[in-house]
Amino acid sequence: MNSLIETKGLSKYYGKGNEIKAVDGLDLTVYEGETFGLLGPNGAGKTTVVRLLNCIIKPSGGTASVKGYDILEQPDDVKRVTGMLAESPGLYEKLSGYEFLEFMGALYDVPGDVLAGRIDELLKLFGLDDRRDHLIEGYSSGMKQKLLLAAALIHDPPIVFLDEPTSTLDPRAAHMVKELIEELADSAGKTIFMCSHLLPVVEELCDRIGIINQGRLIAVGTVEEIIAQTEKETLEEAFIALTGGVDNGELLAWREHNVQP
Amino acid sequence: MAGGVLAVWVFYLAPMLVQSMVGEFQELLVSQVALALFEIILFLFSLFLVLIPVSNALKEEGGVAQVELMLKAPVRPGDVLVGEFMGKTPIYGIFATIAAGLFTALLTPLGLSFVQTAVIILMAFLTCLGSFWVGTVVAAVARTTIGRTAKGKDIGKALAFILALPMVAVFYAMMNGSIFNLLLDPGTDGLVKTLLGLFPSSWAAEVIVAFARNPANIGAVGMLTATRIGGMLVFMAATLAIGWKVTDRAYSLEPASMGVTVVGPDGAFFKAVKRLGGGGSFGSLLVSSLKDYSRRMENLSQIGYILGLVVVINFTFVDDATGAQMMGLLMSTVMALFLCSEATIRGKEALFIYRKTPGGVARLMKAKLLQAWLFVIPVMVAIWGFSAWRFNLAFSVPFLMGMGNALLTAMANATMSMGLSFTNPAYTQKSTAYMINVQAIAFIVLGTMILPDIVLDMPWLQMPLAWAVGLVLLYTGYRKLSNME
Repeated sequence: MNSLIETKGLSKYYGKGNEIKAVDGLDLTVYEGETFGLLGPNGAGKTTVVRLLNCIIKPSGGTASVKGYDILEQPDDVKRVTGMLAESPGLYEKLSGYEFLEFMGALYDVPGDVLAGRIDELLKLFGLDDRRDHLIEGYSSGMKQKLLLAAALIHDPPIVFLDEPTSTLDPRAAHMVKELIEELADSAGKTIFMCSHLLPVVEELCDRIGIINQGRLIAVGTVEEIIAQTEKETLEEAFIALTGGVDNGELLAWREHNVQP
Repeated sequence: MAGGVLAVWVFYLAPMLVQSMVGEFQELLVSQVALALFEIILFLFSLFLVLIPVSNALKEEGGVAQVELMLKAPVRPGDVLVGEFMGKTPIYGIFATIAAGLFTALLTPLGLSFVQTAVIILMAFLTCLGSFWVGTVVAAVARTTIGRTAKGKDIGKALAFILALPMVAVFYAMMNGSIFNLLLDPGTDGLVKTLLGLFPSSWAAEVIVAFARNPANIGAVGMLTATRIGGMLVFMAATLAIGWKVTDRAYSLEPASMGVTVVGPDGAFFKAVKRLGGGGSFGSLLVSSLKDYSRRMENLSQIGYILGLVVVINFTFVDDATGAQMMGLLMSTVMALFLCSEATIRGKEALFIYRKTPGGVARLMKAKLLQAWLFVIPVMVAIWGFSAWRFNLAFSVPFLMGMGNALLTAMANATMSMGLSFTNPAYTQKSTAYMINVQAIAFIVLGTMILPDIVLDMPWLQMPLAWAVGLVLLYTGYRKLSNME
């Protein structure tokens, strides 16, 4: 299998003296056509990895290539071959759904004759066709998420980064998105790089997963391999074992200091 | 503490401040326009105090979430509303203190008695706090109804700009005296008194004017004073009771909607703009950027404010075409202030959309710059067109050259403003970066006018300097956005 994303010692540090290590020495390979899931608790560095690989921020150290393009030397080429659904996306709320997709298509230089048809198809696929001319400010959070997913696909990129793709969706929409991800990988041959802390979603969709904690990649492999490595029975238990959790005894410790009203 | 400040202001600072204008003021008080004029001033002042909390409530972020927290807690909605009112009363008390101090200071030289002074202070406080209470109640209702919609937030931001305009208009009209001429007409005077007489602010005005005409003789206007104070107290009690009653509705999170906005296909204007942008991808970007800008009521109210200000200043201070054209130059500075940070104020995430796309930063800057020019050019043309109409100017070569010069200056100012926005991105209007940018752009724009013209005595340098500063700021902005972390 061809490697499509490759990082070598990729790091991102913040703060005085670089004391905050958002991503620390990441060595990772993602292969063409696979669905890779990056798992981690809140603040583990997942979003930073996605931003680094999409050339939105620059690494403090190390390097990476995406479809053969170096993220430092060829950022425009990298941007062209990737689509991204951000965790906290910016939206132009005074545009309609159709206009927003038109705007995103223009940013990626999608030719006008192709763009109109593609927007129509994507709006139909995501069930937004009847709201196409409504301003985005009136959309629900689930509708916005679907629109952003459509925007990530507007230039039909070979690699799609999805940061928490189903977190704000209702079960039906989440099911549709999961099927879409499967179709994108299986039928359209896309490479999917997904970040999530929803373990069942990752377990269901991903060929391989990586677990990141405090900026460091601490495990990579298939779900079965990771469960076996930690000698646990489920991915959830393996995840807790790797990233740490709270002892049961601590859960109600706060009550001992409570003063009755 | 507050009482001490009030006493210092009322009995020492305000009398000192108004000493120079006492003579004219006394003449005004005994003139026939006094009552109508005071009614207008106090009405606008009250309206201001009602609308400020409403505007703040509508544009604040997270206001509804706070209401949810309060509703969840074992606290009565009425207590929350009164608590909110009481919490902000000291701030609004300052307005009341200033108003009371000004009136008493202006009237004291006429020989007011102590009781009359006390009544004026009481009326000023009742007017201010009554208005503020009404504003607090309306704001609470607005926050949980239209404030929960994007359109409501838009209205709040628009209101913040436009509500100052009537005050400015009256202030300027007083400064040049045109309002006095207007009120000398018995028809206008009567109309103002009839319309505004219904509002409590006019009752305070009636008492103030009556005292001015009968200093140290409260007995002569005893009935009027008693009925107006009584009316004011009844009004306060009634609004407090009604406000208390509506709190359940004010602090309610029942579903609210204002309907959705549906947009149609692009009209001739956006098609022309797209062609202006080359017709391709960049044209589409420019159109998207302009749509996002022009559909915000806040931006439209800024344009309305500028054009309103132009009309007001033209009819109050400007006597010739040169003055009108100088005012146009001044307006280009105001426009630069309004444009400041517009490009980044939608948040860092919105900028990341451009960062993610190939060559996105350069295209964002180009689109925003063109958009800024598309804002300033029509406004400047309107200002010059207005001056041409008012002073019967022919569209001669010198006129067109003057207009061209003004347009280029306004475009340079807009360029500086945009460049600064990108150099020091501000992501919210509450951020320090935003405050710095607004002050800095005023300093920079005026600096590029004053330095060559007055300090160096090289007026020809003004335009090249403005463009040079603008381009440098654009370049630094490009570097900043490209390396933004």
